[in-house]
Amino acid sequence: MRKPLYIGALLYLILIIPPIRSYMESIMIIHMLIQLPLLMVVGWFLGKYIVYKAPKVFHAINENGVPGMILIVAITMYWMLPRTLDEALTLPQYEVFKFISLPLVGLLLADSWAKIRDVGQIFIYLNYLSMFALMGWLYLDSPIQLCNNYLITQQKTLGWGFIFITASMIVYVLQYVFIDRRRIEE
Amino acid sequence: MGAFVGMNNLKSTNKTVATSLTIGGVIIAVMMIFGILMLLAQGGVIDVPDAMFYQFLTIHGTGMIGAAALAAAGVMWYFLNQYVELSRSIFNWFLGLVIIGVILVVIGVFSFEFAGAWTFLYPLPTISASAWGTIGALLYLFGMLILGTGFLLLYMDTGRAIIKKYGSLGKGLGWDVISGKKKEEDAPPKAVVASTMVTIVNTTAILAGAAVLIMNIINVINPSFTFDPMLAKNLTYAFGHIFANAIIYMAVIVVYELLPKYTNRKWVVNRVFLIAWTMSTAFTLVIYTHHMLMDFAMPKWMLIMGQALSYANGLPVLVVTAYGALMIVHKSGIKWDMGSGLAFLSMFGWTVGVVPAIVDATIVVNHVMHNTKWVPGHFHMYMGLGAVVMLFSFMYYLAKVDSTVKESKIDRIALWCYALAMISISVQFLVSGALSTPRRWAIHYPGWMTPAVFGAIAGVFLVIATTIFIIHFVRYMKNRGKLGSDKYEQKTA
Repeated sequence: MRKPLYIGALLYLILIIPPIRSYMESIMIIHMLIQLPLLMVVGWFLGKYIVYKAPKVFHAINENGVPGMILIVAITMYWMLPRTLDEALTLPQYEVFKFISLPLVGLLLADSWAKIRDVGQIFIYLNYLSMFALMGWLYLDSPIQLCNNYLITQQKTLGWGFIFITASMIVYVLQYVFIDRRRIEE
Repeated sequence: MGAFVGMNNLKSTNKTVATSLTIGGVIIAVMMIFGILMLLAQGGVIDVPDAMFYQFLTIHGTGMIGAAALAAAGVMWYFLNQYVELSRSIFNWFLGLVIIGVILVVIGVFSFEFAGAWTFLYPLPTISASAWGTIGALLYLFGMLILGTGFLLLYMDTGRAIIKKYGSLGKGLGWDVISGKKKEEDAPPKAVVASTMVTIVNTTAILAGAAVLIMNIINVINPSFTFDPMLAKNLTYAFGHIFANAIIYMAVIVVYELLPKYTNRKWVVNRVFLIAWTMSTAFTLVIYTHHMLMDFAMPKWMLIMGQALSYANGLPVLVVTAYGALMIVHKSGIKWDMGSGLAFLSMFGWTVGVVPAIVDATIVVNHVMHNTKWVPGHFHMYMGLGAVVMLFSFMYYLAKVDSTVKESKIDRIALWCYALAMISISVQFLVSGALSTPRRWAIHYPGWMTPAVFGAIAGVFLVIATTIFIIHFVRYMKNRGKLGSDKYEQKTA
């Protein structure tokens, strides 16, 4: 059961190596759509181990998964704002917060996702689908440069990245609702 | 014991559904009063300040669509719940969120004077020429967002339940029957087919609506953030048109469920029926572009598609439903009462109501009729004489099967009064449109006033009739389940 712990810790170490970290943060789309999600993946692996080790704690603080999900939505929404990316590059305390808060998101996700059950999962999924579409639109259509650290072309690339994710999520939804999994399982 | 528990569940289910119908019905009646006030103001009979006229316009549009959708969702939920396992707690959440949304909208409109119409077309919520401020716009937009969230929750539950029972939404639409993999006898019930269609189109609509609402909110908070207005308009109508259109597809379930019971005949689901519903699912998603026929920057193919598919969308489900209703009633010896009478009237309203829409969706006609009162003529007929009548039909049906409250002569008079009043209102809008009277104008030239006054007078009779319907339903709510719920339905089943 220690395997997720090792994978998570190793990935975390790789992500904080200064050349890797600064390279990822030098390109807006990699910063937002690769580094940030990878930090959540770190938390997911660590979470698998921690939740396994201390189930009572998580049962006490996050019984039905809703508190965890609320925190997840709040933190991820915060990190989707253009300004927060800028501040992570400019102010060290924000950078530290990023490397703590996003693994925490992954950890909470590992505990909460199964707990919120199907309707909760669909709700969260559709919520992020419209949010990603919105962010894509925002980054593509903004008439001004949103970050001091990234040029407008980088901003537009990120916008297309969000649109790509949205399109992929729509494809996933379509196959999910139109393919009968019961037959496949049989 | 099991039967006892089942009956308790049924009773509380009926109560939940009846609550949505009561709220919806009362709001519809109140919104009618705002409609009368607007017509009286346009007819020069009363003096309503211009700013207030647009507040009335905003609340009338939002309230009518929201209330009809709320009540129609109750009808859909009631019948769908008989075939799949829906969550009552989610329906309660839906009701709660809708009520919160409505309260925010009402405060935004009346306390903070938001008057950007129910279409909240970007960038109008921000650029109001000081008619309203940031708070009013935000209350309205957040109210709509919360309302939409409530509906999204409901459709997620219906989608989940349909997939659980039938395997996929495609199978909910009967695609395996269409493709010949399953026999027609094994096709999903009509209520499931209609609910699947509504789940698909309204989930799409609400997601589009959520994106454009948040964009508007960002723009209201920080006006220097501007967005592509054409994309915003596309998303707004993708939301508004689909959501409004889906009301009738939810409400029509009552016709499918009622008429076979009343006529004691089977209304079979065949391939033609299923193909019609699949076609309407696809067309409903893409025909909103007929709202943009005057937007020269729109790609031409989208406008042509808007016209061609608007023609096509008016037909499949309507034809199979109206034809099916006629066939099932013809020489059946049906015993007419309020429930069956209203259900049949709604078929008439739906059929005649789409005709002006198809006329206006023709690009050359739209050049002349765009944004004239012809358009309200269409949707008042289609909604007022079609969708809303289906809701009243369900109210009488539920009262009949779930209580001992009897229909009286007054109810029957109210039915005729409602039908004539609603036809009069619709026709006065169509006549105004033919006179080139613009829609959404607080002030009319003298030559435009007569139809408006006529409509206002008809509106008074409409409110009286609607009030009689609602009083009957409230009487049912008070006497609900006293002699055991749904006894009549069990007898006739």
